[in-house]
Amino acid sequence: MTGSPDVPVRIRGLRRTFGSVVALDDARLEVRSGEVHALVGENGAGKTTLLSILAGHLTPDSGTIEIDSAAIPDRGWTTREAWDRGVGMVHQHFALVPRLTGLENLSLGVRRARAGWALPTGWIRERVEAIREETGLDVDLRTPVEQLSVGERQRLEIMKVLLRDPRILVLDEPTAVLAPSEVDGLLTLLRRLAGEGRAVLLVAHKLDEVLRVADRITVLRNGHTVLEEERRKVTARSVAEAMVGDAQALDAPERTAVEPGEIRARWLGRDDGADLELRAGEIVGVAGVEGNGQRALARALAGRQLPDDGRVHLPDGIAYIPQDRGHEGLIGSFDLTENVALGHHADPAVRGGPGRLFLRWNALTARTREMIHTFGIRTSGSRATAASLSGGNQQRLVVARELHGRPELVVAENPTRGLDVAGARFVHDQLRRLRGSDDAPAIVLVSTDLEEVLALSDRICTIVRGRLTEVPADERTREGVGARMLEAGE
Amino acid sequence: MIEALLQAATPTGAGWAAFVEAGVRLGIPLVLAALGEMVSERAGVLNIGLEGSIIAGALGGALGALATGSAGVGVVAGGAAGVLVGLAFAIPVVWLNTDQIITGTAVTLLGLGGTAAIYSSRFGATGTQLTLPTLEPIAIPLLSGIPVLGPAFFDLAPTAYLTFALAPLLAWFLFRTEWGLEVRAVGEDPDAAAAAGLPVRRLRLAAALFGTLLAGLAGAHLALAYAGTFAENMSAGRGFIAIAVVVLGRWRPWAVLFAGLFFGAASALQFLLQTLGWDVGYQLFLALPYILTLAALGGWIGRSRAPAALGLPWPRRH
Amino acid sequence: MIRARWWGPFFGIGLALVVTSVALALGGYDVGEAFAALWRGAFGSEQAIASFTLKRSVPLLLTGLAVALAFRAGIWNIGAEGQLYAGAVAGFTVGLIGGGLPSFVLIPLVLLASLLAGAAWAALPTIMKLKGGTNEVITTLLLNFVAINLTAWLVQGALQEPRGVYNESAPLPESAHLPILWGETDLHVGFALAVVLAVGLWVVFRFTRAGFLVRAIGEGPAAARITGQVRSNRVTAGVFLASGALAGLAGAVQVAGVDLKLYESLSPGWGYTAIAVALLARLNPLGVVLTAVFFGALQAGAAGMQRAAGVPFAWVNVIEAIAVLGVLIAAREKAAA
Repeated sequence: MTGSPDVPVRIRGLRRTFGSVVALDDARLEVRSGEVHALVGENGAGKTTLLSILAGHLTPDSGTIEIDSAAIPDRGWTTREAWDRGVGMVHQHFALVPRLTGLENLSLGVRRARAGWALPTGWIRERVEAIREETGLDVDLRTPVEQLSVGERQRLEIMKVLLRDPRILVLDEPTAVLAPSEVDGLLTLLRRLAGEGRAVLLVAHKLDEVLRVADRITVLRNGHTVLEEERRKVTARSVAEAMVGDAQALDAPERTAVEPGEIRARWLGRDDGADLELRAGEIVGVAGVEGNGQRALARALAGRQLPDDGRVHLPDGIAYIPQDRGHEGLIGSFDLTENVALGHHADPAVRGGPGRLFLRWNALTARTREMIHTFGIRTSGSRATAASLSGGNQQRLVVARELHGRPELVVAENPTRGLDVAGARFVHDQLRRLRGSDDAPAIVLVSTDLEEVLALSDRICTIVRGRLTEVPADERTREGVGARMLEAGE
Repeated sequence: MIEALLQAATPTGAGWAAFVEAGVRLGIPLVLAALGEMVSERAGVLNIGLEGSIIAGALGGALGALATGSAGVGVVAGGAAGVLVGLAFAIPVVWLNTDQIITGTAVTLLGLGGTAAIYSSRFGATGTQLTLPTLEPIAIPLLSGIPVLGPAFFDLAPTAYLTFALAPLLAWFLFRTEWGLEVRAVGEDPDAAAAAGLPVRRLRLAAALFGTLLAGLAGAHLALAYAGTFAENMSAGRGFIAIAVVVLGRWRPWAVLFAGLFFGAASALQFLLQTLGWDVGYQLFLALPYILTLAALGGWIGRSRAPAALGLPWPRRH
Repeated sequence: MIRARWWGPFFGIGLALVVTSVALALGGYDVGEAFAALWRGAFGSEQAIASFTLKRSVPLLLTGLAVALAFRAGIWNIGAEGQLYAGAVAGFTVGLIGGGLPSFVLIPLVLLASLLAGAAWAALPTIMKLKGGTNEVITTLLLNFVAINLTAWLVQGALQEPRGVYNESAPLPESAHLPILWGETDLHVGFALAVVLAVGLWVVFRFTRAGFLVRAIGEGPAAARITGQVRSNRVTAGVFLASGALAGLAGAVQVAGVDLKLYESLSPGWGYTAIAVALLARLNPLGVVLTAVFFGALQAGAAGMQRAAGVPFAWVNVIEAIAVLGVLIAAREKAAA
């Protein structure tokens, strides 16, 4: 069935996998002219993948995408082709060159659209002025971008896209970086742009903002479309429910009640936020949408950096499983033994010689071999490079290394990111085992994956813009925590 | 070696006039090479193999002029030779993402060794100098009559005038044209440039080769206008000095012009000092431009900011 | 960090030899005779090996170690040339002043002075890098020129030889001369010292905690900081200064072992060639010994090649350059795959 001109974007049955990870599975989306359409979903639901395919950065495995009733070529398309067909994308991370001025950045955006050597400054100024009259969008042309505020940069990025007069405008999490006062201006602008007859697709998290501006909403969960409805027919809660959904295949075994032990660490947060006490034998989950300050929190708790505000009291012996295992947890070109040494080099047991200057590689190799065996790491041996391991096995190595030697505090940051089901299960089993062991450490799990937090945590906090709030026991459900994370009203 | 050439080429006359004249004469090849390197660095490519292109340009210029009897042809040949050596640098660096520093070092060795080898095998290590057809200076009427400044600025070889003309030309190119903007964008933030649809690698290649073209021309100028001969290693480190000139000139064409002349003046200072009877310590003045450049880098004299992506390979493995 | 394939250096050298053969043939030279002469010049006799090949390898060995050490930690020290000059001047001056002291006191003092001077010469770029994030490629490069000019100033001024005729210094007092290592040759103990340092550096990298952390910073700076909790600023500073010290040592060793006086242009660019030496050795200290000797052999053999077969001496640089380019390209093959 071909789409009418009123539906410039029609996506059906879209599927995309990355290895064994299914990012999109029968995803469906329709955006109409003259509407603001919101695409929502949790982290990992597939929004980014879908946008990447729409923008031309990725090719789908199967499915159809029709722009103005004409399908995108099977091989995918380039950014320029997307532009030529009238699709304008405003990315989350702006494609602006910091040291150039606003005008120069706009010139880059329209490069070679017009003939000639000279910079098309006159033409740009005219168009900018025209757009400003139509929509109220005001940008600073003269200042170098690096001196502009985030809101001003975003307006510039939007203007860059508008200069090409796109029929379809796609914005990826535009409100994530804005202050509340700037959000109003953006939402008003989006309404005006839709009013001009454009199709505006808004990808977002913050449900209350989305609901203010959207005409229709599509909810993506685990790669497929679970809800497609008009705004007036939904509530914030129903959308949040659709986003977080029912129980997962991950089994959550009966959690044995454990008497939490002594306090191992304390986080004294900002005045407006909660303090955090981490007790032995207890898993505290910190849930939040990406970009709300989790990284800084995790690093501060792990003792790797000083907290921005507030203070932290930490024990000796902290295990840290960083989010970015490839860059922060492991050195790809080092072999497994060396990677173990990276974490253990301060341990007197592996040092020797005069002044303990030397590393006892025998001891380290033996230790590594033991880890490979105990934790089931699939590798050709302790001499294999870390880069040769699969993601799951890399994480096993990191976990094995960090949990060695009875740490008093374990900080795990998105520990199952990028892992398949088996890999994720392994990590969760390890954390549970630790929790129930003798002389258990305090465990804090900082994660953007709500399922994970719910399945493992004894206590849950949410983090929004760096502020921690403890979730009361009766609200520790998917909807309750999810709503808090997504700020769908309190 | 180069000292001897300097001595031979110094005119006699009033100390100050000689100083200014020598300063410009010494500065011109530096400015020419530095302007090229500036464009290259603006696109993010740091070429310490510039020395290889300069010496190749000198030999190319010499051979071209000898073969045809025309210094003009020599200049063109010199430019081509500079680009040829430049390809050995630019292609690995831009397309194969090899490290810029190490590749540049190798190309310098290649250029210096290759030119010396070719020279000595063609002309033997006999010690007699080549005599080349030279680029005759063209005196601009009226202006060349001005005392002191006249002979220094307005009675020069064509390549020198080209050098002076390049400063405003490149200023216009970099800041007033689309291509110049694209070059700058690529050097500041190649990822953003790529997101804007720019052909990053092609731009970098073009900028790097342009730099080596000017370096080749500088070398040809050295052989055909400055010394009138070719000698092994006659580039005498100018490729490295040009990099310092670019830094002192803060990657801006007019400032690079003045910075290059400043370096030239520092070298020429020894003549002035000799005339004034101070024979001591001129080497300290030779060191002065470098110290000033360091100070500029350290932010003690104004602010000097390199293109943000200078020296970084692209695309980066993430 | 540069992670060349293990076969990279062999590929590079092989490529260089092939290109050389082709070029020689095209140039009308007798290829066989040329290579034979190269070999003879480098290894043909005891004198050849010791007084030419090995002796010429010493400055490259030490500067090569300096560069390899720095590059291993992710520090682009292009200033080995200037640090070498600084060490040479300092070492010579101490030797001159302490001429009355016995050798076993004076020589260590000379060498120590050169270590300190080389480190001091690396200090400014280090500070600028750590405090201001200033790119050390340019700062170290600039200081090379400052060092060379300062040396020229001293050699033509305060340190000039008594008659004031030549641009060189007075002779270095005998008690500061490095003893000869090998019989009737010119090979001095500097060679042994350099080899010992190379082995020492290898041991440090392989077996000590500090060496491991340096490697970690070079290969994975983020992981080193986050997981390894390495104080990267301190380590970087330490390595940078040590690199400068080694290069400074190269200067003094050359002055006290070979030149026996301070010349204005004492280095034909060893500090830069060291980059090629280090890369060809894949930044491995033991490998540096091999590649430095290889370069020394090329230099020694090239003189013979010129005498016997008429091949220009300068071709040596081309061989070195092609070998390096070969290694670089070989490394890229891996990344693409």
